[in-house]
Amino acid sequence: MSVAQVKRIAISDSPWPWLAPLIALLIVFTIYPLIYNVWLSFHEFVPRKRTLAFVGFDNWVQLWNDTRFWGALGVTFLYFVIALTVELVLGMAVALLLDAELPGFGALRAILSMTLVIPPAIAGMMFLLMQDPQFGVLSYFLNQLGILDKSTPILATSSLALIGVLLAEIWQWTPFMVLIFMAGLRSLPTEPYEAAMIDGASSFQMFRRLTLPMMSKVIAVAILLRGIDLFRVFDYVFVMTSGGPGTSTYTLSLYAWQQTFSFLKWGYGATLSLTSLVIIMVLANLFIRVAKVRW
Amino acid sequence: MATVEYQRIGKSFGALNIMRDISFKIEDHEFVVLLGPSGCGKTTLLRMTAGLETVSEGDLLIDGKRVNDVHPRDRSIAMVFQNYALYPTMKVYDNIAFSLEVAKVAPAEIKKRVEWAAATLNLTPYLDRYPKELSGGQRQRVAMGRAMVREAAVFLFDEPLSNLDAKLRAHMRTEIRQLHNRLKTTTIYVTHDQIEAMTMADKIVVMRAGKIEQIGTPDDVYDRPASKYVADFIGASAINFLQGTVVAADGAPAVETATGRVMIEDGSRAKVGQKVVVGVRPSDLVVDDAGTLAATAVLQERLGHDAQLFCDGPDGRFIAVVDKAARYPEGSTVRFAIAPSKVHVFDAQTEVRI
Repeated sequence: MSVAQVKRIAISDSPWPWLAPLIALLIVFTIYPLIYNVWLSFHEFVPRKRTLAFVGFDNWVQLWNDTRFWGALGVTFLYFVIALTVELVLGMAVALLLDAELPGFGALRAILSMTLVIPPAIAGMMFLLMQDPQFGVLSYFLNQLGILDKSTPILATSSLALIGVLLAEIWQWTPFMVLIFMAGLRSLPTEPYEAAMIDGASSFQMFRRLTLPMMSKVIAVAILLRGIDLFRVFDYVFVMTSGGPGTSTYTLSLYAWQQTFSFLKWGYGATLSLTSLVIIMVLANLFIRVAKVRW
Repeated sequence: MATVEYQRIGKSFGALNIMRDISFKIEDHEFVVLLGPSGCGKTTLLRMTAGLETVSEGDLLIDGKRVNDVHPRDRSIAMVFQNYALYPTMKVYDNIAFSLEVAKVAPAEIKKRVEWAAATLNLTPYLDRYPKELSGGQRQRVAMGRAMVREAAVFLFDEPLSNLDAKLRAHMRTEIRQLHNRLKTTTIYVTHDQIEAMTMADKIVVMRAGKIEQIGTPDDVYDRPASKYVADFIGASAINFLQGTVVAADGAPAVETATGRVMIEDGSRAKVGQKVVVGVRPSDLVVDDAGTLAATAVLQERLGHDAQLFCDGPDGRFIAVVDKAARYPEGSTVRFAIAPSKVHVFDAQTEVRI
């Protein structure tokens, strides 16, 4: 291309030269993999021949009849609901507390964001050690308090393992909610609160009738950001339990990963991850529609 | 209905004292305007009355009871904020009804009162809207509606019209005053706009740097300003000040200024030889070829029903209201006369009225 040609493109009204880099990136890193993933879900890897064979809807039929898939979906939903609820409520409570201008709270706010610097896999390792039945600090205190039997290892007990994993999740990500909520609280106008004070509202009434509705957009964003992230939970379960004991912490992402990379069932792995993508998209869009605020 | 009494009220933020020794009483049904430039403490005084700021010194009495430590909700006040402070997430109806809901008033009674307020303020078609869907004037009225339904003993207004355009401001001015005439609720109204103060108040409290400069009816503060500061602050067009010395001219007291001799009232307490400042309102000046004041015409500004003439004199810029039909070419000398009763004399040192 000559200089003149480049010049002509640059001064033209056409948007395409400007959009091209972004479109190229999108095609290479998002659209092509997505289409390939869809294509892959209709094929399966044949290790003997080292090729992909077309299998039609076999993967999808298998998915429908796969109890492990439904189990993993159930675990993922449970994890999603518990973690999101706790992080929202706890995050809002801490944010409201830290919003007060008391001495030392500035430092506290800074310290709070530190958990976000730690890689999730490392946080998982930390909580794995803390819950170790022999020398874990958490196990020790729970034993001392009589809440936990000495012979019960948290992460190796079906009924408790998910809670053990959730501890790491909640510890690491509640501060994220706190930061978002605190930013939201800081941006609220003060005058309506003064008016409400004169109108005779109690603190709880102000929170319910003013703070919560005024924060609804911020809360919606927090739910969306965290919710999507929660649905594809992988690192904590991978590091702490590998999905066990049994399938009690077996999540959808972990299952898709295992099918793809351990069992080399690429087609079925693609089917699983595509399903998870569809579920996230449907849920997110439903939520955006429901959470629409008018004021 | 109630009285409000300030007894030696002071306010400090940390070591910084911004207000000291404020004492005056507001009678039942009275419409009192706190007037002063920004930073004079008028809004702080209002917020102390509301209970949104603590009182550092002195006693604040509402209806004879000391309320220094009483929660805002228990003071029987209602407040209209400068930026209205509407609840953004509530519709107009709920904005107005909120205080009643909080007070657990029966739903039927809430409905009745909200509808009454809405009808009074022409808000009925907007009850189902959110504040952001309203114009400035409508929001202003919602804020007033919110105050009205509370049946408070005292209404507090914090510069409620400053965010409106000039025309709407004039309109709301009369509406607020009419509302007061109807409800007769004791009202404290803060503004920096002397026109609002003049047109609405039963009593004006002029404030300056945390102190009261003068308390009086609009006529009092206009006709007999207590200080040079008040004379300067009150009045649509700025008052003219001339420096001079008191002399006795043919037995009558007068002030000799660089612009000319100004006769002052016979009974004046000004002593011969005293250094003074005389204040002369532009509208009190009369063009008169035999007049004692002389200045050079600079610019004539038409105001519609009359005109403003800017002159340059030895004391600087000098403004007079003149007949709009008359023409005063630039550079021509114009002579003015003024009735002694219209001349305000202030001590040059203390700037207090003599």
